[in-house]
Amino acid sequence: MAIIGGGSAGLAALKQLSHLGKQAILLEAGSKVGSKNLSGGILYSKKPKKGNVSNVEQLYENFLDDAPIERKITKYILHSTSQNKIYSMDLTTAHDYQANFGCSVLLNKLNSWFAVQAEEAAKKLGGGIIPGVHVKSINWNEQNDATIIQTDELDEFEVKAIIAADGVNSEVAETVGARKKFTPEQLYQGVKVIVKLPEDIINKRFGVSSDEGAAHLFAGDVTLNHIGGGFLYTNSDTLSVGAVYHFDSQISNPTEPYNLIDVLLKNPLISEFIKDDVPIKPKIDKNLPQEEQLRIRFAVAKLIKTWYEIREASLSSIGRDRLLKSGKYKTVEDIQKRLSAIQEQMTEKFGLTFGTDYLEDEYGAKLVPDGKRCRMRKPYFKNILFVGDAAGRGVFVGPRIEGLNVGIDDGVRAANAVAQALDKNDFSENSLGENYSKSVDESPFTTDMKEIDKDYLKIFLDAAKDVPKDIIGSRYGPILKMMSSGTMRGIAVKFANILGYDKLLPMIESEDTYVRVPIQLAERLGEPVLSSYSPTIPSIADRIANLNYNDDHLSHIKVLNPTSEYIKKMVTLCPAKCYTEESGKVIIQHEGCVDCGTCSQETEWKHPRGEKGIHYKYG
Amino acid sequence: MSHLNIAVIIKLEPDFSEGNVSYNPDGTLNRAETKNTLGPHSAIAAHAAFFGRVMYDAKVSIATMGPPIADLALQQAQQISDAEELHLYSDRLFAGADTLGTAEVLRVGIEKMQEKMDIVFSGHRASDGETGQTGPQTAWKLGFTFLGNVISYNVDVETRMVRAKRLISLQGLPNIIEEVEAPLPVFISIDPTYKSSYNTVSQRLAFQKYKKEAIQLSDNFKDYLKIFNAKELGVDETLVGLPGSPTIVYKVERVPKSTATRQAEVIDGSDPEQISKVVKKMKEALSAMVIK
Ligand SMILES: Cc1cc2nc3c(=O)[nH]c(=O)nc-3n(C[C@H](O)[C@H](O)[C@H](O)COP(=O)(O)OP(=O)(O)OC[C@H]3O[C@@H](n4cnc5c(N)ncnc54)[C@H](O)[C@@H]3O)c2cc1C
Ligand code: SF4
Repeated sequence: MAIIGGGSAGLAALKQLSHLGKQAILLEAGSKVGSKNLSGGILYSKKPKKGNVSNVEQLYENFLDDAPIERKITKYILHSTSQNKIYSMDLTTAHDYQANFGCSVLLNKLNSWFAVQAEEAAKKLGGGIIPGVHVKSINWNEQNDATIIQTDELDEFEVKAIIAADGVNSEVAETVGARKKFTPEQLYQGVKVIVKLPEDIINKRFGVSSDEGAAHLFAGDVTLNHIGGGFLYTNSDTLSVGAVYHFDSQISNPTEPYNLIDVLLKNPLISEFIKDDVPIKPKIDKNLPQEEQLRIRFAVAKLIKTWYEIREASLSSIGRDRLLKSGKYKTVEDIQKRLSAIQEQMTEKFGLTFGTDYLEDEYGAKLVPDGKRCRMRKPYFKNILFVGDAAGRGVFVGPRIEGLNVGIDDGVRAANAVAQALDKNDFSENSLGENYSKSVDESPFTTDMKEIDKDYLKIFLDAAKDVPKDIIGSRYGPILKMMSSGTMRGIAVKFANILGYDKLLPMIESEDTYVRVPIQLAERLGEPVLSSYSPTIPSIADRIANLNYNDDHLSHIKVLNPTSEYIKKMVTLCPAKCYTEESGKVIIQHEGCVDCGTCSQETEWKHPRGEKGIHYKYG
Repeated sequence: MSHLNIAVIIKLEPDFSEGNVSYNPDGTLNRAETKNTLGPHSAIAAHAAFFGRVMYDAKVSIATMGPPIADLALQQAQQISDAEELHLYSDRLFAGADTLGTAEVLRVGIEKMQEKMDIVFSGHRASDGETGQTGPQTAWKLGFTFLGNVISYNVDVETRMVRAKRLISLQGLPNIIEEVEAPLPVFISIDPTYKSSYNTVSQRLAFQKYKKEAIQLSDNFKDYLKIFNAKELGVDETLVGLPGSPTIVYKVERVPKSTATRQAEVIDGSDPEQISKVVKKMKEALSAMVIK
């Protein structure tokens, strides 16, 4: 039994299989589990009205006590923006809707923790996790009914069944022919940066305690007319700032993904959220001898590093404890004194000054499947079960952004189906595949991808009840009116669901919703927000240079037609700027690729070989 | 399956990696502030030993001679190799030893280990001024077959034979890979290009298991550490340290860049006669190389 892909979904499958006493191995392409995963991200635990889901704290018994979560999100606010005017709506009720909790997470840390838990259980049964292995194909030997996995790194081997958890750009799904590549209409493009900010400052600025956190969502002019929006989530001592946009909206009106992030960062409210004291490096006198210049540069770099380390620790409860325990400092005042001393040394000796700016520590991007439009109706192929993003199962409804918890639930469902198949020794589509498919169909998450939930809708109607009707416009006015009465709402939603969610989606997910109405709201009802500085935003080249890669001289992406319209758009849309156009032909330089999948539509696209490519520090 | 015992000899060296080197204001290396670490070649030897641990469930022991702080190198090597036995030979008396003196200490130490060794690994050479003779000399003193520049190996535990690939670089000729076979015990000096490869699912699982174990062991490395001074080790004092070191280094000089001694001859590729001349020359050159 093999699981392909060690994201949250694959790891959940391994944990559950081990829990059921079944031996399984998990193959992950990254050199370490967690290094290739990227999310926003808020991980939810849900309690649906109807049906059951497997939540993270049930699967990992010690989750609530031990897991490296960032903060439990206790505030959830939607901001409509138009230049410096912002209209804010508290949507904490929507965030709390049918939720046990929702916590901010960073996937490198979190998935590594899941891996330790899952592997501990798996090892006892002779299974485990094998990182650094990229699966390249799966074959079936018709004669002896064997399923053979081929990888770039290992001798081929046989398995009884497979759980494919290889993410949105699933090669497994594509190479075996289980589904076609997702199309732009079925996808979102997500980009995100990690901003460093000390814990105490986050607590104060966002009005939360150390274990609480805030989520801020953005729509309006920050979208640059794209359908989607921005987010800012508080982590322990970082912020996740990102943008998620419908990919077809990006295809029809291409905007550099990093520009979409930059617009967010420049919005005065976000600029104020991310700002911090940062040291400004002095200009070194070019007339000094070379060695002297070098010496100063080294000394300054070292001082800045020490300053950051001590400052960060001094502004966090755990950091302070650590410093005091180390014995180097007796009291918190001692730490402060040391910090001031370094600061003084920086200023007096090297002419370093301090100013207001922000500090970005990681840039990343990935496609996100829109479950409403692309979930696999038949999430299996022969003896392979697809879970999580590989099966196209993200729940994205309005501000509801859920992929992690859905993948975890899928992983458990797939593991249960495989365990049954192992007991019956029947891995046929009719048995294993159908069992799993049935279970997935019963999942409340699947229902949520198919129909409007009138109670969830009511939350928004209540939140918007003070909004003048003319802003909502002729298009939504009558609907809103109808929806605001309890009995009418029930009927209207029923009617809408009969009409079909698919038909309603283009209306709900439109420029009106994400761009025009929010701009109107901000202009008419918003308050002006001023920022005291303008952030120095790193160029995309600097952002890429700051990422960790294990370079592969072989390219994992091949351009099929260097003159196609689509591939030309990649010059703008590749978040890592890997594409350039020279005399009408598009060429790729794969070295900075972050494996997002944006260009996969018209390329021969594979994940890099085992251990190669991007390695996210936060994810 | 009969058991396999592996020893690795390692060395603590200054860490020349970025950020760890410290310079004096005058630009010279500040030895006191520069961090020390397990030498890169020693690390490769430890990886080779770990290969034996994963593939043959071997028991690994590590030995080093050096100052007390060399226990850091032992810890790092344990983290790589999952060793259960760590030896540090530390005595003022050993100070100033040349390779022959070092070899004597290592021989005595290795023979004092819990098990009789089947394979002893050493790195190619240290990066801080060693001449690469410690390995061969220790092998000679132990009476083990010496295999140098090994880039991969495997062991038949039943017949107690080791099969190894050696990288041979002869000046002016393309590198060749020689495959040799020798009965245990052997002393293997690992080539810098050595890389362990684990090609099957079960090997990878074993790799993961032992790697985890190694990290756990090395967290408490002091429980596995034994430190010996000259007396405890029971070495013949005339054979170790300065008195046992016949080499006298009186000056270290840069080797002047040699001017080419080869002569080139231009061959006309379209002339068959000239081509056969080239082939003949190549044959001569190849037959001059000793290949088993
Ligand atoms: C910007 C952004 C914001 C998001 N916000 C949220 C949020 O707030 N809340 C939420 O719940 N969800 C959010 N999501 C979605 C969520 O992150 C994903 O749904 C989830 O991470 C998918 O998990 P997965 O395990 O299915 O796939 P992945 O995490 O993509 O894991 C797939 C794994 O398979 C490996 N792999 C791929 N191919 C192979 C191969 N051939 N061989 C071996 N290994 C392979 C990869 O290396 C990878 O580790 C967001 C996503 C993005 C991009
Ligand atoms: S090359 Fe393709 S997969 Fe890589 S970052 Fe660019 S668009 Fe994404």
